[in-house]
Amino acid sequence: MPDSNVYNDRVVTVLVVLSLVWAIAGMAAGVFIAAELVWPTIDLGQEWLSYGRVRTLHTNGVIFGFGVSALMATAFYSVQRTCHVTLFAPRLAWFCCIAWNLVVLTGGISFLAGWTSGKEYAELEWPFDIGITIVWLAFAVVFFGTIANRKVKPIYVSNWFYGALIIVIAMLHVVNSLAIPISIDKSYSLFAGAQDAIVQWWYGHNAVGFLLTGGFLGMLYYFLPKQADRPIWSYRLSIVAFWAFTYSYIWAGPHHLHYNAIPEWVQSLGVVMSIILLAPSWATMVNGVMTVAGAWEKLKTDPALKFIVLALAFYGLATFEGPMLSIKSVNVVSHFTDWTVGHVHSGALGWNAMITFGTFYFLVPRLVGAELYSIRLANIHFWLALAGTMLYILSMWGAGVSQGLLWLSLDELGELSYGFRDIMASMAPYYALRFVAGAVFLTGAVLMFYNFIKTMENRTTVTRRIPEVKTANVVAEVAA
Amino acid sequence: MIFVPVDVLVQGSRLFPRLSEETASAGVVIAKDILPLALLPPIFLYIGSTLLGWEIGAEHAIRMSPNILFLVSLCYFSALLFGLIGLAILLRWMAPTYDASLELSRHLTLVATVATPMVVGSIAHLYPHVFVNMLSIIPVLIWSMFLLYRGLPILLQTTPQQGMLMASSLIGIVLVAAVTLLGITVVLWTHGFGPSLGL
Repeated sequence: MPDSNVYNDRVVTVLVVLSLVWAIAGMAAGVFIAAELVWPTIDLGQEWLSYGRVRTLHTNGVIFGFGVSALMATAFYSVQRTCHVTLFAPRLAWFCCIAWNLVVLTGGISFLAGWTSGKEYAELEWPFDIGITIVWLAFAVVFFGTIANRKVKPIYVSNWFYGALIIVIAMLHVVNSLAIPISIDKSYSLFAGAQDAIVQWWYGHNAVGFLLTGGFLGMLYYFLPKQADRPIWSYRLSIVAFWAFTYSYIWAGPHHLHYNAIPEWVQSLGVVMSIILLAPSWATMVNGVMTVAGAWEKLKTDPALKFIVLALAFYGLATFEGPMLSIKSVNVVSHFTDWTVGHVHSGALGWNAMITFGTFYFLVPRLVGAELYSIRLANIHFWLALAGTMLYILSMWGAGVSQGLLWLSLDELGELSYGFRDIMASMAPYYALRFVAGAVFLTGAVLMFYNFIKTMENRTTVTRRIPEVKTANVVAEVAA
Repeated sequence: MIFVPVDVLVQGSRLFPRLSEETASAGVVIAKDILPLALLPPIFLYIGSTLLGWEIGAEHAIRMSPNILFLVSLCYFSALLFGLIGLAILLRWMAPTYDASLELSRHLTLVATVATPMVVGSIAHLYPHVFVNMLSIIPVLIWSMFLLYRGLPILLQTTPQQGMLMASSLIGIVLVAAVTLLGITVVLWTHGFGPSLGL
């Protein structure tokens, strides 16, 4: 019987390690497909190594393998500490950890075998969709069960974000995955035509919103004050930002479908809500930047805080660029170009990966009760991550804007000036640069992995007793 | 008397202690350092574009008349001048948060120092090919960022840790400014200013 007076951190450690494995595997798949765009024959004529299949493995590996494992780990870690109780249903937490990773692993193999539903970021076929739903419900039971058992009355803001992640992703996943199976490896969506597209991007954009933004904001709101050793700059602002974020994000999906066969007013609504989103996004950025600004002395000893500072800068960029790209007169040039890919990666590399790296540099040594093996390696990782992200964004800005300009260009007769094939052939240098950028970023991640292996070597997770509740004020409690 | 654009090239980051000691008024720094820096890239652009035309990546280069190119270069100069002085003002606005100096001339000097490698990189405008110009940005960007992180705490008289945070905030601002410029350019194109698009 698990001891209810200690935190249940072993499951957190395992989730962190699995997340790291997915980070390396998913990013390596990304570097491989980046190389394929420069040297297409490296798939050796094998279908399972073709761009279309490995690309899906890359996106699902980094989002659901690396990202969600990290979110589960940090949610389990922080919800116990903000509630001053051990995890509710610890066996179910282990089930989440193992079953989730099995679903992503077998799902990844199914992509290589050619199974796909054809819906971006929801490519897994129906058997995996059912698996995800079961694991997600278990995640909800553990998380909300722990909150229900809490000894501190107010629910700290990080838990609001993790809670929104769990509820909204459940809703999006179930609705978008409604389908009629025709065989074990193929199903067809319950929705047809334009409605299917609207449901898909309602899912797709809010997966970005509530998983890649909301979930990771939960991580930020718990781990940033912890690392800075002071409360969040404005707790009130964080709550206002939460509700504004939750309300406005859910409407923004149609901006993925500009100039498509969906009603004009739906597109316009998508633009308006996307622009409104800038306010809560930047409110959070300001809150984070000001919290770190008061804790500058920590930078002397803490390599992790640097990652968080930079993650906030890229969060600022990505959340500004997104609304800007949703404006129709910008979107007409940027859509279907690599500008979008650059935008996604300024969020994915600059924000999601950096904030997770920063959190793990804080978390791993504490989980095993040891000093980080090498601060020098962590610092090298920081510069590699920054250089990789900047190179990636630059190459995709160059490629994307050129593409947008070239394939809208008309000659004197009103014909298209350039053929699609010619334009794509001229993109090779940009893609080569993007390959280098990805390889630089991956190298940094490998260094981090090695650093953590050495830190964890011959150690087990430290058992920590749950302290008595000192105050009813959870904000002060988190910083303590 | 220090002339930032040249002295940075010769001495690199060793210049910072000297820069920090020399006091000049904001107007002098703008006239002496910022103006020449803002002037050079548009001149390179004008020369390269009139002689060779812009190559975006496919087939033939895009050529524009000298008059239009002069106008584009003038806009480029204004944008650079506005951007450089604007960044200095933003730095001064951030200064109290990071316990940094409030003297605008110091902020202007820092901006001039950090911009110098980028201006050197703009020599690539003489060969107006998008990818060549992008490649030329990479080494000078690394140099500029090194100067920013190294020089900010010395010039603005704050601790290295607060300097690190302030420099990172500035990078965030510059990234947003860069993407805003891209956005404004694209909106101008789609409204008929610039190349003829099938919209």
